[in-house]
Parts: sequence; C-alpha cells; structure tokens
Amino acid sequence: MEEGRKTKGILTVIIIGVMFYGYAILCYIKPAQDISEAERRPLAQRPAISVERLLSGEYMDEFEEYAVDQAPYRQQLRSTKVMYQSIAMRKLDNNGMYFSNGYISKLDYPLNESSVDYATEKFRYIYDNYLVDTDVTIYMSIIPDKNYYNEKLFYPSYDYNELVVKMCESMEYADYIDVFNQLELEDYYETDTHFRQEKIVDMAVYMGEEMNVTLDTEYDEIKVSDDFKGVYYRQLGMPMKGEELYCLTNSTLELCKVYDHENGKSISMYDLNALEGADPYEMYLHGSLSLITIENPVATTAKELIVFRDSFGSSIAPLLATGYSKVTLVDIRYLPSNRIGQFVDFDNQDVLFLYSSSVLNNSETLK
Amino acid sequence: MVFSSMTFLYYFLPVVLLTYFVAPKKAKNGVLLLASLFFYAWGEPKYLILIVGTILIGYVSALIIEKNKDKMSGRIALYVALFCCLGFLIVFKYTSFLPLPIGISFYTFQLISYVVDVHRGKVKAQKNLINLFTYVVMFPQLIAGPIVRYENVEKELNHRTHSIPMIREGISRFVIGLGKKVLIANQLGELADVYYKVEENSVVFAWVWAIASALQIYYDFSGYSDMAIGLGRILGFRFPENFDYPYISKSITEFWRRWHMTLGGWFRDYVYIPMGGSRVGTGRLVINLLVVWTLTGMWHGASWNFAIWGLYFGILLIIEKLYMLRYIQNAKGINHIYVIFATVISFVIFSSDTLRDIGVNLSNMFGLTRLKGITEETLYYTVSYGFTLFVSIIGATPLVKMLGTKAMKAAERYKLDSVMESVVLALILILCTAHLVDGSFNPFLYFRF
Repeated sequence: MEEGRKTKGILTVIIIGVMFYGYAILCYIKPAQDISEAERRPLAQRPAISVERLLSGEYMDEFEEYAVDQAPYRQQLRSTKVMYQSIAMRKLDNNGMYFSNGYISKLDYPLNESSVDYATEKFRYIYDNYLVDTDVTIYMSIIPDKNYYNEKLFYPSYDYNELVVKMCESMEYADYIDVFNQLELEDYYETDTHFRQEKIVDMAVYMGEEMNVTLDTEYDEIKVSDDFKGVYYRQLGMPMKGEELYCLTNSTLELCKVYDHENGKSISMYDLNALEGADPYEMYLHGSLSLITIENPVATTAKELIVFRDSFGSSIAPLLATGYSKVTLVDIRYLPSNRIGQFVDFDNQDVLFLYSSSVLNNSETLK
Repeated sequence: MVFSSMTFLYYFLPVVLLTYFVAPKKAKNGVLLLASLFFYAWGEPKYLILIVGTILIGYVSALIIEKNKDKMSGRIALYVALFCCLGFLIVFKYTSFLPLPIGISFYTFQLISYVVDVHRGKVKAQKNLINLFTYVVMFPQLIAGPIVRYENVEKELNHRTHSIPMIREGISRFVIGLGKKVLIANQLGELADVYYKVEENSVVFAWVWAIASALQIYYDFSGYSDMAIGLGRILGFRFPENFDYPYISKSITEFWRRWHMTLGGWFRDYVYIPMGGSRVGTGRLVINLLVVWTLTGMWHGASWNFAIWGLYFGILLIIEKLYMLRYIQNAKGINHIYVIFATVISFVIFSSDTLRDIGVNLSNMFGLTRLKGITEETLYYTVSYGFTLFVSIIGATPLVKMLGTKAMKAAERYKLDSVMESVVLALILILCTAHLVDGSFNPFLYFRF
C-alpha cells in the first residue's frame, strides 16, 4: 500500500516527462531551417551573442523569435492550433483568415475611406502630371475580393458599391469598367487571394470590348503545378490540398516579347522557376516587377495600353496583350509615381487603372 | 522570461530540472539559485544588481535584528531595511525616471515580510546567504508571485523531500496553469484587444469587453500562480494558494478572500492589523480600510486608475462591513449578481489607462454615449469569441474541477486514472505549444507589477 502511494502517478510523470524532454531535445538538436516551406518566409536564426545585446535584452527577444520559428513540427502545430480554435472553440477566423465554402478568405472590414482616398490621390497625381492634356483614353476597373462572392452569416463585409461610387467620384476622368458580374467565386483560388488566369478569359474579353479592342478567346491551358498553395494557406496554416495552377498561351502570346525595365532584360511571359520559390503566383510575369512591357508583333491594331496595376494585373495582362500592339505595366507599389515620367511616354494610348479592392482598402504600399 | 514562452518551456526548464534532480541534496539550493539568477537576468539583466543589493540589505538587517532584539540597534536595522526596500520600490515604481524592474513589487514584499517576521520573532534569521537568496529569487515565484512568506518555506529551504506524487501534482498544476494562460487568457486578451480596434463600438460589445477583461485578468494571473505553485511542488516546495474561484463569491469581502490571497494576506498582517484592524471605533475602521485598500490599489502601479480601483473596493468593503454583509450573504442569487457586477466594473477601472478612459468605457457600457446597441462588426467578434467566453465563464466556477474529480474517480475504478490524466495533460501541453508557436498575442498582465 505504502509502495502504491509512493509510485502513484508515475505513469503521468513518465508520459509527460518523455514527451516534454523529447520535444525539448528536438528543440536543442534540430538544425535551423532557413525558410518555412509552408509559410514561404525566412525563419529567424539563432541570434549572435554579445555583451551589449545581452544587456539591452535584444538577444533574449531574438532568441524567443528563434525558438518559436525553429520549433520542431512547427507546421503541424500551427495546423493543430487552427483546427482547435475553429472546431473546438468555434472561432470564426484565425488571424483574420477564415474557411468558407471550401475557400480561405480574409476579413477585410471596414471600408477604409482614408486608404481609398490615399489611392485616388496617387491616381490623381498620375492624371495631373502625366495624363491631363494628352489624348489618352482612361479607364478604371476594380477587381472585387473573393469574399464579395463568399458571404457568410455573421462575417462582416463592407459595401463594395460604396467603394465603387467613391472611386468613380474621385476618378471622374476615367471610364469605369464594371467586372463584378464577370466573376464568380470559382474564378478564384481556394488558397490564394488571386483569381485563376484560366477562368478570367471572359472577363478580359469583356474589358477589351469596353476599351474597344478585340482580345483572343482561345488559349491552351498548360498545367504547371497541381500542388499550388497560395498566400492564404500560409497565413491560415490549416491543412489543405494543393491546387492546380495553369498558365494560358496561344500563338499570339508565344510571339509576344516581354521586357523587364527594372532589371533591363528580356524575360519570359511565365517564370516556371517561381513555382519553386516563395510565391508560385509570381510565375505570372515574374511577380512584383515595377515596369514591364509586352510587345505583340502580330497585333491587328497599333493601339497601346498602359496598365497601372497590382499583382492581379500579372495574370490578366497577357490576355490583354493579345488585343494591343504593346502593353506597359506599371506597379506604383515599386515605382514611385513621381518617377513614371522618366520611363513612360503618354501619347494616344488606352490607360487602365486596374486594382483589386483589397489593395485599394489597404493602399499604404502605393508610392 | 515568462513561463508561457518557448524559451522557458523547452530550453530553460528542461535543463534546470535535470540539473536540479541530478545535483546532490546539499547543492540543490545552489542550483536553484543560479538558475533563478539566470532566469531573472534573462528578462532584466540591468536590475540584477538591484535585487542582489536588496537581498543583502535584508540578510544583514535580519541578522542584526535577531541579535539585538528589543534593542534600539535592532529597531534601527528594521527601519533601515524597510526604508531601503520601500525606497527602492517607490523610486522605481512611482517615479517615472526609471523603467520598472521585473517583479520588484513581489520580492520587496517578500523581503519586508521576512525582516518584520524576524523582528516579531516569528521566524529565525536565515544565516545561510544562499538559502535566503534562494527564497527571494526562486524563479517559480520571483516575478509574479504568489507572495511567498519566509515562514511558508523556511523548513523546506533547509530540508525538503521530493517524490513521484509531488512531481505528478506539480506537473498537473503547472500544465493546467499553462492552459489557463495560453488557451484561455490569451484568447480573452485578443477579444479585449478587439474593443480598441473595431471601427465602431457598441453597447453590447462594451459589456463583452468588460467581462472578457475581468476573466482575462483572472485566468492570466491565476494561471501564472498555478504554474508557480506547480513548479514549486516539483522542486519540493509548497507555495500558498493565491486564487480560489473568486467569481463565485457572495460578497466583495469573500471575493477578496479568494482573489490574490497572498497580497490580501500580506496587507492584512503587515498593514491593517498593525493599524488596529477591526478592533477600533467605526471612524478609525473606515480610515484603516481606506488606507489599506488605496495602498492595495497603488501596489499595482502609479496610475490613478489603480488608486481608484483600490479605493472603490475599500468603499465597497466598508459598506459591506458596516451595513450590508449579513443581508447580502442571505440574498441567494442576488449576491452573486452583485459580486459579478461590482467586480466587472472594478476591472473596467483596472484595465483603463487613464481617468478619461474609465469614464468613456463606463459610459459606453451604460449607453451614455451615442453607441449603437450592436453593430455588424461587434456582433461578429461576439459570436466568434462566444464559445471561448462561455468556456471561460464555466471554468471560473468549481464545475470543471468537480467533473474532473468525478471522471478521475470513475477512471480509478478501472485503474485508468493515470492514463486519463496523462492524456489530458499531454493534450493541453500540445495545444499550448501549438498556440505559442503560432501565436502573436501573449501578454502577461502581472509582469508589469
């Protein structure tokens, strides 16, 4: 009996002890990884030690970041947390991300009026400094976030109509092309913020019609990945199957010449190397480049198009290029507005401001 | 270093426990002391010298006090110790010139209780400097209590035993405390934080925020106390309890017997009773209570909101003591509503940064501002955190413990109690680790005291 009392709980001590020490040993011996494959971001490394950094506490803060980032089974633990919070604790989102109808969406609420004002001020600057008194034709279009098509009980969403009205009122110099009815939820990736290139041909054709050009309608769909996990997947951390990623091409696109003015070199329309990189969506036109031109040598018109765009523009631009002799893509998140004149001449082109609602609502990156 | 961090859990603690248990009996206090100094230096390297200096003053003073009982030199030593301890506390806590050293409110009170108890002849002065250092800086209770008095651990400092049941009890208590902190308090903290971030607040959400804040403070601090008590148990100490389901109290008097019990006990024994306690006239009693509770509030910080918070409780306790106590104790149901209402309001005062914030937050709750009843956004967050809130309310009652005990007894019949306990603790530990790995929201409220 006495023996029984002395050893009571030994199983608990052994099980928790083995688990605890097993994980602790892994923490100590696991080699540090440079990047998180799932999160597609660099991971904190063991901080350098110095008396100064120890005294300031900097070393300790960085060590905790390192311990968190390099935790063994990090991805599985992140998934465990999301599952626990969403299933057991019925939490509606995790770090602002939520899962609905098979899609991961991001809470983007409320309409940030000052952000929209900031974006339209930038566009106004471009108009005042480069476009006014030229013979360009100006268009503006807004790509709705996928949660516009994925409404769910209790989830707040802002009034997209209010955004459109605000943009139209602030950009009275541009003709608005409404694409809200050209898209549906299935046109977006389940794990990413963007739409699928193979699903937006009709939308691109519609935009072409609105800008009085005829775009190609026939493309070959080339599957480049069946394990695409987008930016939302990384942020949510919930286990999900990878998606198929396609790029479109046809005889016109094969002849197009793409030039990267940021790095001063010719590039391909699609960068298959990006599939192995941090963000496979960057396959489309090499991702975040500030200034790109696409020349179409077989265009049936001499018309040119200048697109002020965000990342959504990367996958739709090739489709637009089939209707123009030249498409210039300007990303003012990387090329400051006051420097555009050094690189682009505005003369008798179509100019399209094509932005996603999420960038307009979080426009602090526009320069 | 806080307990709910990867650094503490998987880098510091395993090495310390291993070294501690491998070390011979005589060296255990030394191991514990070194580990504790490292633990403190990790969070506050600059103030290591302050804590060392304060302990040295306490050590020397206590020896002098003991040697010169009933002599002037003994009394002078006591006053010098009190002056230095309180002086450091006032300079660092109540002047804005210097950043607050971690845990100063806790270790100062521990040292004061030590020298006063030596003066009162309740305990003997500790001759072994390592043992005294170990008592004050022992990492489980160093930075956030409970306020362990020297008399609580005097015997264990000199001689303590370790056993499997004690380690099991300690593990269980620590993991449950970790779960309270990481799985509940941090989530409630996120909800409370939303209140300041939403585009448009609402009356309903002001109440949700107030309730979430009150529960967050409870889970945060009682979780930390559980972890401290659990670690103490593993190391062979029995620290005093600090919380006993305060939200089930039937009066504020009872609430303070269940909330931060070691702080309440400290003020009772070292301030209230020396002032005459309750055995005085009504006028003096009122003054005593107001002084003690204003000091209790001020102990939490130099802001006015803490003083008001203490005074608020002081007034409630005076009203209860003089008029209400016998009535409310019999008013079943109403007394619980009264306590919950009064404490929720108190934590609105506690959680508000400025006097203006107190006014705004209370006005929001009572619909005195132009807030809507509910908005789309605040409804979303109320629903999103609704289950967490529900679980935390249930968990603040003895119901979960009762059900756990029943389940353990049932499992014991089939000799599955250890298995069940291990599975539950393992699950909590995995979930806590998962939250620490993914979480960005991990404040520790009592760290600043």
